[in-house]
This record gives sequence, structure tokens and C-alpha cells, in this order.
Amino acid sequence: MIALSVAAVLAIFILYTSIAGAGTPEIGPSTVGRHAGEDVLLVGTVVGHVAGDAHAGGMRFLLKDDHGTSPERTSVLYSGSVPDLFRTGRQIVVEGTLRDGTFVAKPGSLVTKCPSKYTPAKSST
Amino acid sequence: MAQLGRAALLLSFALVAYALLGGSLAAWKRRRRLALSAQNALVASFGTTLVAAIVLWVALARRDLSFVYVAQHTSRSLPLGYALSAFWGGQEGSLLLWLLVLTGYASLAVLLNRRTRELIAWTVPVLGGIAVFFALMLCFVSSPFATSAAPADGAGMVPSLQNPYMLAHPPLLYLGYVGLTIPFAFAMGALLARRTDERWIVATRRWTLAAWTFLGVGQLLGAHWAYVEIGWGGYYAWDPVENAALMPWLAATAFLHSVMIQEKRGMLKIWNVTLVALAFCLSIFGTFLTRSGVVNSIHSFSQSPLGGWFLGFISIVTVFSVGLIYIRLPLLRAKTKLESLVSREATFLYNNLLLVALALTILWGVVYPLLTQAVNGETRSVSKPYYDFFLHSFGLPLLLLMGIGPLVAWRRASLRALGKTFAVPAGVSVVTGVVLLALGFGSSTPGLLAYTFSAFVAASIVLEFVRGRRAAGSLTRLVARNRRRYGGYIVHAAILLLAIGVAGSSAYQTIRERTLQPGQSMQAAGYTLTYVSLGTRQLQNAQQTSAVVDVSRGNSHVATLHPGKSWFPVEQSASNDVSIYHDPRSLGDVYTIADRISKSGALDLKVLVKPLVNLVWAAGFIFVFGSLVAMWPDAVEQRKLADRYAAVPV
Repeated sequence: MIALSVAAVLAIFILYTSIAGAGTPEIGPSTVGRHAGEDVLLVGTVVGHVAGDAHAGGMRFLLKDDHGTSPERTSVLYSGSVPDLFRTGRQIVVEGTLRDGTFVAKPGSLVTKCPSKYTPAKSST
Repeated sequence: MAQLGRAALLLSFALVAYALLGGSLAAWKRRRRLALSAQNALVASFGTTLVAAIVLWVALARRDLSFVYVAQHTSRSLPLGYALSAFWGGQEGSLLLWLLVLTGYASLAVLLNRRTRELIAWTVPVLGGIAVFFALMLCFVSSPFATSAAPADGAGMVPSLQNPYMLAHPPLLYLGYVGLTIPFAFAMGALLARRTDERWIVATRRWTLAAWTFLGVGQLLGAHWAYVEIGWGGYYAWDPVENAALMPWLAATAFLHSVMIQEKRGMLKIWNVTLVALAFCLSIFGTFLTRSGVVNSIHSFSQSPLGGWFLGFISIVTVFSVGLIYIRLPLLRAKTKLESLVSREATFLYNNLLLVALALTILWGVVYPLLTQAVNGETRSVSKPYYDFFLHSFGLPLLLLMGIGPLVAWRRASLRALGKTFAVPAGVSVVTGVVLLALGFGSSTPGLLAYTFSAFVAASIVLEFVRGRRAAGSLTRLVARNRRRYGGYIVHAAILLLAIGVAGSSAYQTIRERTLQPGQSMQAAGYTLTYVSLGTRQLQNAQQTSAVVDVSRGNSHVATLHPGKSWFPVEQSASNDVSIYHDPRSLGDVYTIADRISKSGALDLKVLVKPLVNLVWAAGFIFVFGSLVAMWPDAVEQRKLADRYAAVPV
């Protein structure tokens, strides 16, 4: 009986993973090039100037890897709500697809992580 | 001051280490006086930890910025209440709270169970061992009493944490997390002492119930905080840190149900000790998740050296409990067998399997990024669709079981009797389903199913009360005679409201966004929102800009809302101030967010209309009430238990 139920639960699980695929990749700007055209979560730190209007025509900014010294930068085009904590230097996660060198984000998918100010002071980005 | 704190913690460490080592030796060699002294050490460690906690609280209250912890988490302009709540705002303080609650619980549990000598003998070293880990972290890895030259001002507190909910939400969660330690320690203590009867369950029943209630209420408070403060319009986002609290709660829910089978029928002994170990491991894992920064989360606390330590501790606990259960397997075999797949026992079993399956799929989702990283070097993560899928496929049957279970007889239920008892609830739910379908609720299948199943459960709960009342004469006498059972039904009613509220506010919500100039208006689900004007206000530590938005339904004005934003100069950050109208007619909310206020005075207004969402919060009150009824000491039950164990030599 127990074995049967466990098997049923497993079956549902496998059914799901086979239909819906196995998760969305979480990647940084240095490796996003390999996933052009795919739906991914882009994780990185905002660098440079933030231009445009997220509510009219879209906001543009550059992202670099959170860790490491990769020179890769990814240009992100985003529209929708901008979290309070968003600004240059913050670590963010945004969902979308890389198309012709620009990462086109899904509207409203931008999430900021806790500002580095609350981690030991030396880890400034 | 800091020295006093450090000394008190070192003393705590020594005391709990003594409880572990001395207690083990005493239990092993059956030395009564040594056992007593180990118990006393555990009680004394609460005293010393309390001293350390008071030192930290005083430092926070005085904003003694020479404490690194105080400087990092408060500022001079931070209101006193929030400064005190910074105790659990950071990692070191949280650990201290863990140890404080743990030693407090442990002392109380020891003092209340001193007479069950054999059981408590091995429980003391288990409790001591767990406390040793936290004391070790506090003394040598992550001390809240580190000092340095005082800076001019502290770093302040994240604005979204400056909220009254933060005074209650984290401590309640900790009371829940840590509370699960007690049943775990008693279970392991019983196994070590080779006492595999249900004594440990009886001794810890109320502890489990209390911990489970705290964990539930703590999460609901957190959800409400997210709803009113974070301002994205939802209350649960399947974030790893939120899941961290949900998983042990689900495991504990399963445990609360399965222990009843062991008490009534002597079955599921192995399953129960496994469940309690699972719940405890998940609660440590939850603390690890929130504190290690190993998984991407919006909560994302600082990366810290604690991760490795916690991982090591979880491994030790897992190996220890699995090993111990394995060694004691021969003693845990059940004397009775499941007689029929259609019986109360069987429904409890289905409920358990679904709850554990839900907890484990959530766990899989949480660790998925780590696993994929380890296996093929690329992090992949799952999100809302994954969790929603499993919530629907396991949660909806669970909801239905909540209505079926109480109607099915113990041992073996005859199908004819079942047909009779199911007629009313089934009829009610079919009628509800058809009516809702006609009203257009078919737009969301899970939503419609949730409503229909809820009607079934509601009918079944009412039926139980009506039947019981007929037998007992009056409702109060009925509940007083069987507090646990009817308290349980009240909790079921709360879960029912929760399910209805969640279904209504997620499956049937309306979201609208528009840029408005003063004087312009927008429509959302029958409400008209008009942007009137803009104003600014100076608060103690923030500057607030808010809009005046009139809400009307039909032709009548129903509310004036003030969505806006606050700017915190010390923390150099802004926070959303959402404004909500609770509609008493629909039990739903009109939730407004000022997404952006431009310098020209234009307002980007986001409006969410969330039907029935207030049932989620109402459920919280009923949940607490039901738990209290179930927990309340019961004289009849105590006497029964006393008789039952009178013959058993202790």
C-alpha cells in the first residue's frame, strides 16, 4: 500500500519534470551568450549608467558577473515595476531571453538582492 | 559589558557541554545523582544565556556602537522598538535567540518531565548536544559581542524591516523552529533508552502542538508583513527562505496526525520517529538556508562562514537519527496491521504521504539549483509554476481528505455506512460546484476545485459538530469533553478558510496598471480609482511622498487611499508604502502601489483587486483558537493517562 502510494507520488513528479522541463538556468553575463534564445534567469551586478524609463519604452542598464573578474557585460532592456532597492552596484536577478546581443527581460521580473551594505564593508562591488 | 556577554556565553557552552557528556555518562551507567546534575546544568544554561541576551538587548537599547553588531544593525535615529528587534535582525543575534529559546524550552521540558526518569535520562544529553552546537557557534565562530572603535553612527536597519511585524514574526518562527527540538530530543531519548512505547509522544504532544502553532502563526504574520510592507501585491512567493519555514511545518503537520495512529492503534512507530527527525532536520536546514546565502533568495542574508558548520551539523543529526532508528528497528515493529484501505487509519496515512510528498517536492525545488550546480556546473532553478503544480496536485487532494477523514470509521468502514455519511457533504459540494460554474468561476480549474472541495469539507465539519452536539447535549460540553478532537476540527476550519482565501486571491485576482495625471482615473474589477493629488510628510527617520487616490464602486465613494514612497536618508534607500482598502462586502482588498511618482506629478498606479484575501488573515485567528482548544489541559485525559502508565514501572 505504502509502496503503491510512493510510486504514485513519484509518477506525478516524473510526469511534471518531463512535461515542464527541468527548471530555468541561472546564469551570469559571462555565460549568457551560450543560451541565446532560451528563457533564463540572468544574475549579476548593475554597472554604469541606468538609462531610459521602465514605464515608457524600457529601461536599459549593463550587468556584470557578481563574482570573478570577467570583463563580459550584458545589456538589459527592462520594463515594468522597478524594485525600491534597484540602482547601480546592486545585485539583481531578472528573467528573459538574449536576442541579438540584448537581454530582453520579461516585464516585472526584476528582483534585487539585499544591498551589500549589510554584508561586511569590504565586499563592495 | 561585552566581556560579561562573552563570559556568560562561555559559561553556557560549558554547562550544555556538561549536560551532553555528564548526561550521557549518567544515562549509560545509570547514575541518578549525575543525571540530576546534568539536568540542573541544562536549566542553569538558560540563566547564563539569558544574561548574554540581556547584555545584547541593553547594548541595542543604548545604541552602544562599540558593539560591532549594534553598529551594523541600528542607527541613532532608529526608534527604540526597532532597535530592540535588531536582536534577531542579524546572524549573531539570531543564533543567540536560537540558543536562548532552546535552553528555555529544554529547562521547562526537563522540569516538567523529571518524574519519567528513564525517558528524560537520555533526552538531556540529546538536548545538550544540540545546544552545544549553537553555543559553539556563538562563542567561537559568530559572536554577537565583538567590539571595535565606535563609528559616528550605525548602518541602520533595512527600511522594510522597520515594521511592527518584525517585532513578532521572527521570534514566533524561532519559537516554532526551536520548539520542534523538544519532540525530536524526546524521540531520540526514548530510542536510546529502548522505550519505544508512545510515552515520548504523550510527553511531547503539547510541545509539538505549540511549536507547530508558533510556526504556523509566524509564517502567516510573515505573509501578512510581505503583503502590507514589501508591496508587490502578494503574500507568498515560494522564495527559499519562505519555503524553509513551510517544510518543517508540513512535516510537523504530518507528525501531529500520525502520532494519533500510534496512540490509538500502536501502529506507525517507525514512521513517527522518522517524521519527527525529518521535521527537526528541516528546521535546522531552514536556519541554514536563511543564514548561509547558499541559495539565491530575495531575503539573501550575508554570505557567512556558518554555512559549512551548519551543513556539518545537519549531517551529524541525520546520520545519528537514521542510525539510531535503524538500530532500534526490531523494537519499533508494529503489533497491529492496517485492516482496510477504507478506514480512519488509512486516511491518516494518505494525509501523511501527501504532506510529506509536498514537503519533499518543495525541498527538491529549494536544493535544485545546488544539485544542478554540483552535477553539471550550471545552476538551474525552478520557480512558481513548479511549486504551483505540486501545490495543486498534492494540496487539493489533501483539502478533500480533510473532509473525508473525520467521516470514516476506525479499523474498517463499511461502504454502505460511508455512502450515508457522505451524502450530505457530497451533495453540498456538487451544488456549490455547479452554481460557481454557472457564475463563471470556471476560468480557473484549481480555483473551482478548491472552492468545491472546501464546500465538502465545510459540510463535513458542520456535520461532525451537529452529530456530536446531539450526543453530548450542548456544544460547549461537547468541545470540553474532547478538546483535542474538536480543537482539531476548528483548526481544520481555519485551514479551510485559508484555502478559500488563497484560491480566491490568487486564481481570481485582477491586476491593472496605468500612468495617471492628477484628476485622471482608472478601472479595476468594478472599482474606479481617481488620482486626486500628491503630498509630502516628514517622519522620524524618513521622508514620505504619497498620493491621494479616491476609490469608488458604482456611483458611491468607498475609500480614500494613500499609496506612496518613503525615502530613508541614513539607510540611503526607499520603500514602497502600499495602501489597501478592505472591502467588507466582498472580504477582498483593493491594493494600490505607487510604482513611480515622477517629478512632474504623474503617478504610475498599480491596482490589484484580490477577492476573499481577508479570509487568509481571519484563518490565522481561528487557527490559534483551535490550537489552544486542543492544547488546553484536559483533566479526564490526564487521569486516563495516569491510569494507563500506573502499572508501567518507571
